[in-house]
Amino acid sequence: MAKGGDSAIKKPFWKKAIKPAILIAIGILIAFPLFSMSYFTMVRTSTPDFCGSCHEIKPAVVAWRSSSHTNNASGVVVDCMDCHLPAPQDTFDFFFAKTYHGIKDVAIHFFTGEYDREKARNNAYAAFDNRECQKCHRNLLNMPYKRGAMLAHRSVLYAKPGYEKKCVDCHYDLVHSERGLVMFRQTRKVPYQAKGLRQL
Amino acid sequence: MRRTLLFFTIGLLVLGLIVITAMAQQPNFAKVKEYRIERSVPPEAQACIECHRTTTPGVFADWAKSRHANANITCLDCHLIQPGDRDIAQDHEKYYSRSDMPWGETKYKMPIASIVTPKDCSRCHPDEATQYSKSKHANTIEIMWKLDPWLNKGMNSDNERKTGCFSCHGTVIKIDENGKIDPDTWPNAGVGRLNLDGSKGACTSCHTRHRFSVAEARMPEACDQCHLGPDHPQIEIYEESKHGTLYHAYKSEYNFNAAGGTWTPGVDYRAPTCAACHMSGSGKEPTSHDVTSRLSWETQAPLTVRPQDFKAFPSGTNWQDERQKMKNICSACHGDAWIDDFYDGFDKAVEEYNEVYFKPAKAKLDELYDKGLLDKTKFFDERLEVEYYELWHHEGRRARMGAMMMAPDYAWWHGFYECKLRFANYMEEANHLIETGQKAYVAKDFPNATGDTQRPKAIFKE
Repeated sequence: MAKGGDSAIKKPFWKKAIKPAILIAIGILIAFPLFSMSYFTMVRTSTPDFCGSCHEIKPAVVAWRSSSHTNNASGVVVDCMDCHLPAPQDTFDFFFAKTYHGIKDVAIHFFTGEYDREKARNNAYAAFDNRECQKCHRNLLNMPYKRGAMLAHRSVLYAKPGYEKKCVDCHYDLVHSERGLVMFRQTRKVPYQAKGLRQL
Repeated sequence: MRRTLLFFTIGLLVLGLIVITAMAQQPNFAKVKEYRIERSVPPEAQACIECHRTTTPGVFADWAKSRHANANITCLDCHLIQPGDRDIAQDHEKYYSRSDMPWGETKYKMPIASIVTPKDCSRCHPDEATQYSKSKHANTIEIMWKLDPWLNKGMNSDNERKTGCFSCHGTVIKIDENGKIDPDTWPNAGVGRLNLDGSKGACTSCHTRHRFSVAEARMPEACDQCHLGPDHPQIEIYEESKHGTLYHAYKSEYNFNAAGGTWTPGVDYRAPTCAACHMSGSGKEPTSHDVTSRLSWETQAPLTVRPQDFKAFPSGTNWQDERQKMKNICSACHGDAWIDDFYDGFDKAVEEYNEVYFKPAKAKLDELYDKGLLDKTKFFDERLEVEYYELWHHEGRRARMGAMMMAPDYAWWHGFYECKLRFANYMEEANHLIETGQKAYVAKDFPNATGDTQRPKAIFKE
C-alpha cells in the first residue's frame, strides 16, 4: 500500500523479457549449427567405412564384414562403435572416449606410424565392458537349448567376489578373425559355442 | 504203446522243466540302457548317442547316468570343435560315410576332438577351471622339470616315464604331421597334461569319464591313484588316521551326492575325506579347485618351505591366511585348542626335519661335490646320491606328511625312524670318503638312463 508509487516505474512483462529472449535467440542461432555440425561429425566418424579409411584398421573392418555380427538372419548389423565405445547411456564417457581415441589414433599415425595388431587386440579385450555387449545381448539366462551357457552366464551375471568375468573372456576371436568365407549365422553348419576362458 | 507214450510225456515234461529253469536264470546278455530322444537334442548329437550306445556302450552308459545327461548336455557340447582346428579327429570323420551304419550319414557330420580339456570345461564351469589353473595340480609338469633329477639328468627311459611319471603328472600332448595325436603322449589323464589349446591339466583325473561325478571326486578313492606309495603315501596315511578309520566305518551313511555348495560336515559326512579338507567348502570357507590353497607348508619339497616361497612354483598366497582357511575347515568338528595344539606338533615336525635331518644332509652333499668326492654329471649313479634323495623324497616326506595328516606309523616308523637310520648311514659313508679322500664309486652300468633331457618347450618358453 505504502509502495503504491512503484506502479509508476513498473514495465510491462514483454518489455522485461525482450532482452533475454533476443539473447536466447542469438544463442540458438549460434548453437544450433554448432550442435548439428558436431552431431554430424559424430555420425560421420562413427561408421565402419570411416574407421576403415585408416590402413591400420582396414583389415579389422574387412574381417568384421564377413562375421556373424554383420551376417545373420535377424538382419542386425553391429557397428564398430557398438562394441568399441562405452554404451551411449554413459554419454560423457562415450564422447570423451571417442574424442580421446580419435586424437590419439591420428597422433600415433602421423608421429610414430607403428601399429601392432596383436597388441591392439589385447588392449581392446582389456577395454571392453560387459555393458557394451549387453546393449544387445540381454536375455542370457533363458537358453533351454544351451544349458551349459546358462550355467556360465550365471557365473558372469552373479559373479562370486574375485571371479568377475568379461563376456570377451570366453567369447573372443569372434569378429576380427581371418576367414576364407563370409559367415552367415543362419547357414552355419557347426553351432557357435564359446571357446572357453582365453587366459587358460 | 502206452509205455512209449508215458516215457514221451515224462521226457517232454523234463525237457520243459529244464527250459523253464534256464529261462528263469539271467542270461548273460548285456542289457542295453534305453535313451529315448525326447528332449531338445540336435540331430547331430542324436547321431553321436545312437552310434556310441552300440559301439562304446560303456561310454554311453556312463554318460546316461551322469548329471550331464540330466541337464541335456550331450557329446557335442564338450567334443565339438570348429572346422579347421588342428586337433580334429580325422578317423572319426570317416564314420559319416558308412552305409553299413544307420547313423553314418554325411548330414550328421560334425568336427570333433578326442581330447576334452579344462578350457573346454571352462565354457560352462569357468570358476572351477580358473581355480584349478592356479594349482600345483595343473602346473605339475613345470614343477617336475624344475625339481626332478630323473628327468633333468635323463636317468630313466622315455617309456618308464610314459607308463610311470606321466600317467599322473601328465604328458605334453603332441600332434604329428598327419594330424593325429602322438601315441607317446596319449591316452593320458594326468593332472598337469599340457593340451593343444594351451590349457593345462585334465578335469577327468578326478571326475572320470564319462560320469564326471562330483560324488566320485569327494571320495578318497579319487585321489589314491596317484597319492600313494613310498614317496608320498597320502592315502595310506589317511587310512591310518582317525579320519580314514571313520570314513571306512561310516561311508555307507555318507551322502556323497549333495549338491555343490551344500556338502556339510557332520550332516553329509562324519569324518572328512581328502577333498573335504583340501577342496570342499565348509562353514564360511568356500569350495576351491585349487589344491594348493589351505596349505601352510610344502611338505613335498626337499627343504620344507612356505607355499609362497616354493621356488619351483610360488603359490602367490600368504601362508598365515591359508592356515587360517584350513583351521576354519577343522573347526567344523574340532575346538581351537585341539587345532592349535595339532599344528604345534606339525610345525615342530617340520622344523626338526628341516634343521636336524635335511640341512646337515644337504650341506654334506655339497661338501662332497665341492671336494670332488662325488661326481655331479649324473644323479643316482653314486650310492650317496640315492641315499640323499630317499632321505627327502621318501622317508622325509612320509615323516612330514604322516605328522600333518595324523598317521603315527607313517610319522614315526615309516618316517622319522627311517630318516634316522638313513641319515646315520649316509653320514658314516660321507665322512668316510672325506676322511680318506676316496672318491665314491660311480655305477658304470646304471640301467636305462636314456630319457630325453630337453625341457618341454611349450612350457619353458625362452
